[in-house]
Amino acid sequence: MNAEIGLLLLTISLTLCLLMAAMPIAQACRCRVALHDYLSLFIKLNTLAQLASLLILVFLFLDNDFSVAYVANNSNSQLASLYKVAAVWGGHEGSMLFWVAAIGIWSWVISLKSDATAPFFHYLHAVLGAIQAGLIAFLLIGSNPFARLLPGIPVEGRDLNPILQDIGLILHPPLLFVGYVGLAVCFAAAVAALLDNSQSMKHHCRVMRPWAILAWAMLTGGNAFGSWWAYNELGWGGWWFWDPVENASFIPWLVATALMHSLILGEQRDRFHGTSLFLAILGFSLCLLGTFLVRSGVVQSVHAFAADPLRGAAMLTLFALVSICGFTLLLHRLPKLIRPISTQGLSRENLMQLGNLLLLVAALSILLGTCYPLLYEVVTGQSISVGAPYFNSLFIPLTGIISLFMGAAPLMGWQASRQDAIKPLALLACICLGVSFSLNYLMLGEIDAHFMLGSFASLWLISCTGLYVRNHLRRMTLPTGNRRFYVMCVTHLGVALSILGATCSSYFQQEELLRMGPGQGRVVAGYTFIYQATETVSHTSYSALQAKIEVRDKRDQHLTYLYPQRQTFNSNAMQISAAGIHRSLFADLYISMGNQLSEEEFLIRISYKPLVGWIWIGALIMMFAGLSLLRPSDACRQARVSPPQLAVKGAR
Amino acid sequence: MTSIKRLLLLGATLTLLLGQAQAEVQTNTSLQAPAVLKRQAIEIAATLRCPMSTNQNLLDSQSPIASELKAEIYLQLERGKTADEIVDFMVARYGERIRYMPSLTSGTALLFFMPLGLLSAVLFWYLRQMHTRRPLPHSQEHRS
Repeated sequence: MNAEIGLLLLTISLTLCLLMAAMPIAQACRCRVALHDYLSLFIKLNTLAQLASLLILVFLFLDNDFSVAYVANNSNSQLASLYKVAAVWGGHEGSMLFWVAAIGIWSWVISLKSDATAPFFHYLHAVLGAIQAGLIAFLLIGSNPFARLLPGIPVEGRDLNPILQDIGLILHPPLLFVGYVGLAVCFAAAVAALLDNSQSMKHHCRVMRPWAILAWAMLTGGNAFGSWWAYNELGWGGWWFWDPVENASFIPWLVATALMHSLILGEQRDRFHGTSLFLAILGFSLCLLGTFLVRSGVVQSVHAFAADPLRGAAMLTLFALVSICGFTLLLHRLPKLIRPISTQGLSRENLMQLGNLLLLVAALSILLGTCYPLLYEVVTGQSISVGAPYFNSLFIPLTGIISLFMGAAPLMGWQASRQDAIKPLALLACICLGVSFSLNYLMLGEIDAHFMLGSFASLWLISCTGLYVRNHLRRMTLPTGNRRFYVMCVTHLGVALSILGATCSSYFQQEELLRMGPGQGRVVAGYTFIYQATETVSHTSYSALQAKIEVRDKRDQHLTYLYPQRQTFNSNAMQISAAGIHRSLFADLYISMGNQLSEEEFLIRISYKPLVGWIWIGALIMMFAGLSLLRPSDACRQARVSPPQLAVKGAR
Repeated sequence: MTSIKRLLLLGATLTLLLGQAQAEVQTNTSLQAPAVLKRQAIEIAATLRCPMSTNQNLLDSQSPIASELKAEIYLQLERGKTADEIVDFMVARYGERIRYMPSLTSGTALLFFMPLGLLSAVLFWYLRQMHTRRPLPHSQEHRS
């Protein structure tokens, strides 16, 4: 019965969304029914219906109702309650429902504070309603989370995919989905801004800014946790593989980064609104395209996720509708948006705008690389792979150039380039280049462009931020801009730390791939690893063979024991390896256990990864710095955006 | 200006000195010790795709064929083959799909030149926009 109520609530929500979407059309057609008076009521009811439907799904999981197909496929009576709740977004149907409900909650929070009579918000809610209606229709037609398995009700569920049974599942998908929702809201705001002429474009973009920042912060967190999860769980020690699924969430992040900066630029200078709107429309379109790539099964991925060609077609249709409508509208209004750029040379707006355009180029190029094998196969019938070596040689130089702009932009003045600032900057760039060049020579021995770019980018960002802080403290400018100023500095430092971590961990990693059995040892990077024993461990959901490996530090003192495991899951006999990791601020010791080679020996991979943790420390700094901009005291308007994710957390 | 010149000079001398030291080091390691071969083999394995698993390189994959191919790479390196020869051998055996860095052919030209094209188009567009809008005597044309 519960499942049917959930389904009914979804249908009600679909009707409400369609009504909301139809409001501006009814108004335009001079329909006599005054629907817009009911807008806030509809939003409330809609959110309530979606939230209740999501909670019913949570209840079905907790209640072990295996007559519901989605529960039977993704849960098991033995599963811990926390994972049962997380399993709600662990599969395709539930995660779509979560996505829809998050849009509902976000639009409700917007409606709480907004002036409901403003046409901008009418259009905004109409577009959000249309998006939700599309997603709910997709859920109801193709992937109903409440579908029953009748009459053959299974006694036991098939269990949640073992790889997903990790803290990563609790953190990574919700953050990512809230980020996607943020981009959907920005898309709706962009369309509303294009439709509504009653207020200035600057005003609209200012309203959109906090939403973009929240979306960006959530996407940052989502990507970082995803990468951290892969590092811990997949057992190969990599943290980024340029896999299509990783790219599908990384591309929107790049676009969101550009969007956020473009909106800040627009707010300060009242220029470049066209770019902001373009990026907002592109961002959400790319979210949908990414969802299509991930869920249709057209790309092969290590993180394979609920692939089904039928769903792919529906997602592709949604993508086509959203992007065609959005870009047509933008093109139609473009002549009004173009304003003269009264600025010269290396002014701050030029550098920022060029940085945004470069981010866009990076996003589109990664998209091309991700889709290329697909297109190639369609055209020629042969298959090729585009992987990490290609993306690295593309993205690392672009990151180098982007960070050049990123470091320099805050030091330049608005409108005109400051001659007095250019000289020290050029000198600083030369010093950074010289230092990274000599570091390269001293540490690697041969010239490696990627290493030089990475070390240059982080050095440059750190020194530029330092210079900027020094200038700022010397001038002691007005206290009003201070919060934003410090957030900007901290975020840019976060980027520098991430780049530094990525560069150091890729180039100074020391690795051994060897046979190991009890009593054998090996020295890697000064640490002695001694294989003590092979143990068997049993857990509620898996049994595992684990190696007990003692680590001794450089002075031959006992440091720790590491326990890499090969886990075999009880439910589906799937085997995965879980790494044993000793984390410290400056280096991780990482051991993963491979195949059994003889009765006693296993293939063991020991890695010493310096500064690898800084990648995620940097990303967390970025995320929290972004969120701190949304604190209520900053401005009344910005306060209204932070609650959605709190509300979502409460709903879980 | 003088400080920049001095810096450049310093950089150039540093390069020369280090370059000589490096050349000496390289002659010493030309014996191709097993550890060096192993590192090379790992580097090559990281750029090739495992034919068995969904999307993993040979280094990360734990399928039997991946271990076999890793051993093959090492053996070929021992026989004195270069990295390019080994990759060509793998491509001849398993097809173009095995390499993560596609080769430049007429079919993949777009993959390599599109990003460059995009980059130059964006820069050109922006610089042109900036240029035409500045009231300079020599640029009379209006934006298109």
